Amino acid sequence: MARIEVKSEITGTVWQLKAQPGDKVEGGDVLIVIESMKMEIPVITEDGGTVKEILVKEKDPVAEGQVVAIIEE
Amino acid sequence: MSWQAEIDELDRRRAMAEACGGVEAVAKHRAKGKLTVRERIAALADRGSFREVGKLAGKATYDASGQLTGFEPAPYVMGLARINGRPVAIGGEDYTIRAGTGFGSDRRKGGQGGFIEDLAFEYRIPLVNLIDGTGGTVNTAKRKGYTVVPGYGQDGVERSVDLLGIVPVVSAVMGTTAGGPSMRAILAHWSIMVKGTGQIFAAGPPVVERAFGEKLHKDELGGTKVAVDTAGTIDNVADNEQDCFEQIRRFLSYMPQNVWELPPVENVGDPVDRCEDALASIVPRSSRQAYNMKKLVGLIVDRDSLFEIQPTFGKAVITALARMNGKVVGIVASNPMVGGIMDVKAARKQGHFTELCDMFNIPLILFADIPGLMVGRESEADAILREGVRARYILGQARVPMFTVIVRKCYGVAGGGFIDRAGLNFKIAWPSGEWGSLPVEGGVKAAYRKEIDSAADPAAREREIEAELKQLASPFRTAEAFAIEDLIDPRETRPYLCQFIDALQGRLASQLGPKYRAGVRP
Repeated sequence: MARIEVKSEITGTVWQLKAQPGDKVEGGDVLIVIESMKMEIPVITEDGGTVKEILVKEKDPVAEGQVVAIIEE
Repeated sequence: MSWQAEIDELDRRRAMAEACGGVEAVAKHRAKGKLTVRERIAALADRGSFREVGKLAGKATYDASGQLTGFEPAPYVMGLARINGRPVAIGGEDYTIRAGTGFGSDRRKGGQGGFIEDLAFEYRIPLVNLIDGTGGTVNTAKRKGYTVVPGYGQDGVERSVDLLGIVPVVSAVMGTTAGGPSMRAILAHWSIMVKGTGQIFAAGPPVVERAFGEKLHKDELGGTKVAVDTAGTIDNVADNEQDCFEQIRRFLSYMPQNVWELPPVENVGDPVDRCEDALASIVPRSSRQAYNMKKLVGLIVDRDSLFEIQPTFGKAVITALARMNGKVVGIVASNPMVGGIMDVKAARKQGHFTELCDMFNIPLILFADIPGLMVGRESEADAILREGVRARYILGQARVPMFTVIVRKCYGVAGGGFIDRAGLNFKIAWPSGEWGSLPVEGGVKAAYRKEIDSAADPAAREREIEAELKQLASPFRTAEAFAIEDLIDPRETRPYLCQFIDALQGRLASQLGPKYRAGVRP
């Protein structure tokens, strides 16, 4: 099973978790919403699979390029 | 008497040149996952189209009777080839020979200026430089008996500078590159680097360690993460050499052969009147919410025609080549997925791309959703104002027709950098569009401070003023005043723009040739 790292494209704060470990997701689904510069920026998975881990919780700061979730294909 | 003996000798020497740096050196090179320069040219050019020039150039040794005893080819392979059926001047260092370092008379062949650049210039054809060399070597002094001033002889940059105003120049960083070849990589309209095997720097790890005592791997110093994603020194990343060649062919497919020709029209049969329903709802009603601008643009331009330039650098703005009804267009689009606010990197990227399109007579479509310039101490220290204004100045000098599609926000100095002031000043807004000097929310308190402070309920008064101004901010009001040229159903964007882009082809044909710009960039 391929392990895919999903990264945040932007520095900001975790605003909402839209997926939980165990959820089945498809490419294009929003996993997490980051708040940055007064905007809600979604973290989207490009690949479908099962959410293995969500590595952040609400209000956590995240950096650009930080891995925030793991998907298993 | 025939000349067969000499012809045989010619063949023998050609075979020696084909052997590159010898079996061992080639095996070592391939073990790193790299093709030889000859294999690279064969893979990139149209099949069988490569006509090599100067194959016999190199260092020969002879015995007392004048018989050839050894031959080391010049470490740059070059000539004429075709890509997408059109002629190009193409060359690359042969890393298997002296790590691609050139010296003496063989420099005239190319790699550091020379014949290959002259060929591109004289014939007005694109130049493709496959860079895999480390530049000069201190050994040159030993060979020559003296040291040379930079720019001496064949390695000046005058020709490279000329080329940037005449023909498309592409460079590919395919190995560890320093010094002169690094400079050539930058002197290009578009550059690409192969992940893992390509690195570029002013000087490599040993020099850095000597200067600063810092021990770095060459990838940490000049790999794609630094040179492409962070610094924007090189434009695009290739996953491997094959991907690199595909991207070069793709880039050139949008380019004219030179500034006297229009970019090639290539119709994929995508209907002009294709109106995608998704466009009616792609922009969220809440202006806080981001959406996928790349997808939005992809729904409007010809199917699969979007080719992003610098996709990993300055991500607040998307720059891409694309087609509309077969005609090449340049796309500049805000990227709300990373906030869309213009930072110094996005400004640099936008300025460079605007110049590229202007040089090669490619009309621009600017999709605006830009809240403004990046504020804050760090951004000011990075010279955001100068970089932002420079991007706008470059747009102000551009003489290609352009269109602004105001998708959502268009505010302030940065927003103005998305608007054409030289031509038709053509601004087409979507119903989701909003614009002004600055967003109402941020501006009310500053503009009405006295009135708000003296009200019985200041917060309520602020909300009242905000509501009043927001009503005036309706795009319909601006359309009534013809202060935007049109307000359209987002689904109509493709047919609307295609018709105008078809119509302006004659205008483009009227302005061919080199563009000389006066003035000093801010």
